[in-house]
Amino acid sequence: MSQRQDDRYRFDGLPLNPVDLGTSLLVTGPVLSGAREMGLRLLCSPDIDGGTVLVSTDSDATTMLEDFERYGGVLDRDRVRVIDCAQESSGLQDDSVSTVSTPADLTGIGIEYSGHYESTYANGYTRVRTGIITLTPLLVYSDDVRAVYRFLNTITGRIGTADGLGVCVLDPDAHEEQVVESVAQFFDGRVDVRADAGDLDLRVKGLRDQPTEWTPVSAGT
Amino acid sequence: MSDSPTVLCAQPDADERAETADVLADAGLSVEEVGSIDTLDTALDRSIDCVVTAFDFADGDGFDVVDAVREVNPDCVVILFTEHAPSDLPRGGPEQVVEYVPRTVPESRERLADVAAMAAAEVTQAAYPVPETEAERLAAVQQYDVDRLAAIDTFDRLTALMTSHFDIDVAFVGLMDEHEERFLACEGANWRTLSREDTICTHTILSDETMVVEDTHEDPRFANVDALKRLDIRSYAGVRLTDEAGNAIGAVCCTDGEPRRYTQAELDDLRRFADEVEEQLLLRRRLQEEP
Repeated sequence: MSQRQDDRYRFDGLPLNPVDLGTSLLVTGPVLSGAREMGLRLLCSPDIDGGTVLVSTDSDATTMLEDFERYGGVLDRDRVRVIDCAQESSGLQDDSVSTVSTPADLTGIGIEYSGHYESTYANGYTRVRTGIITLTPLLVYSDDVRAVYRFLNTITGRIGTADGLGVCVLDPDAHEEQVVESVAQFFDGRVDVRADAGDLDLRVKGLRDQPTEWTPVSAGT
Repeated sequence: MSDSPTVLCAQPDADERAETADVLADAGLSVEEVGSIDTLDTALDRSIDCVVTAFDFADGDGFDVVDAVREVNPDCVVILFTEHAPSDLPRGGPEQVVEYVPRTVPESRERLADVAAMAAAEVTQAAYPVPETEAERLAAVQQYDVDRLAAIDTFDRLTALMTSHFDIDVAFVGLMDEHEERFLACEGANWRTLSREDTICTHTILSDETMVVEDTHEDPRFANVDALKRLDIRSYAGVRLTDEAGNAIGAVCCTDGEPRRYTQAELDDLRRFADEVEEQLLLRRRLQEEP
């Protein structure tokens, strides 16, 4: 890519170098002890024109936004939007939040996602970070994994062409290895996360100039 | 013929359609137009890179357009361009995943043109993983004019040898085109082509490791692929074929109607068969290139 070095996406407080515009990352590891936290920290934008669109499949929108704030995200409803498909009603009434009744409704999630992306963009926040936390319910609820492949091509396609950043979290232990490997094909790089006595480590595969060996992560804000 | 990506614009109102088509053309796209679901069939073919559609038609809705597109060109990007909010749209099927640009955002047609131009050139809605270097890979596949290479008899002999050597139902050599796998030789069945999303080979070409599926019914990637059941493919082993630059052009494969394991010696033999096919293709292509 030809963009200037300082246009790339930065990750303050994480041992990662900036990544190119349009990059999609798969974050793998135990969801409740590291991967979910890492996904949310990658989505916190230090950019003045940065926005975030979150697809929440494992918790309701209120919980997701609280967690996002805990890990350093700024809750500005013009620039942070949530698609809640966790099947748990949060009762949150807000234009920045929409609900899809089930993670199986990939068409509904995709349309809501594009709608929120366009609203964020129209508000002037053109550096959009997209999070899917987590991919597991999408895979579990889909009878045919090919529907998830089509969904991932559509989402990562938009991220790539709109110079966004994509962060999708997956617990590899929740799926067969072949499925994890085929899902990984849709992403430019993979961030592995592990927890060791409460401390997080990460390593990166598939991207240049990133730590390829296990590297300690400082505690989140 | 234009090199611009081609967009099909489906909107029922002629004036609105013309306005949308103008904006898409200004974005450098070659635009075709239809005003109803009924007339879609004649306009749809695999030269269409992207479809922009309204939701409400006199004879159906936007999801009917998606179905018609998937029937002809399953990988094509479809963009819903509508004033309906997402929550007002009926629920689509999982195969109907689409892009969406609301007409309610400011300068929505210009925004649509941006999304369509980028999507038509760079995005797929394929239901399978696409290699990172797909454009180079497809260019490499096009280098092999198999009819002129006169290699089919050789591959027929090799696949016949494979079925008896491995004691399997079917052995084949396939090239992976943009939308489907084309079988150059197929011993034990008369397969000609198979839609790429239905093939196991679309996964085989992603890795230089031999792909083995001992039982398709037990593998979540393939358990619900009806085409594999129809073709009686219950087990599979395949090795990808590459050109001298490393581009994956196809695969050499074994299938059987029963679950099956392969020993390491058998997998080594399968790789030797694939090496032979690869070498035949390369040598014959070089011969063809000589003046």
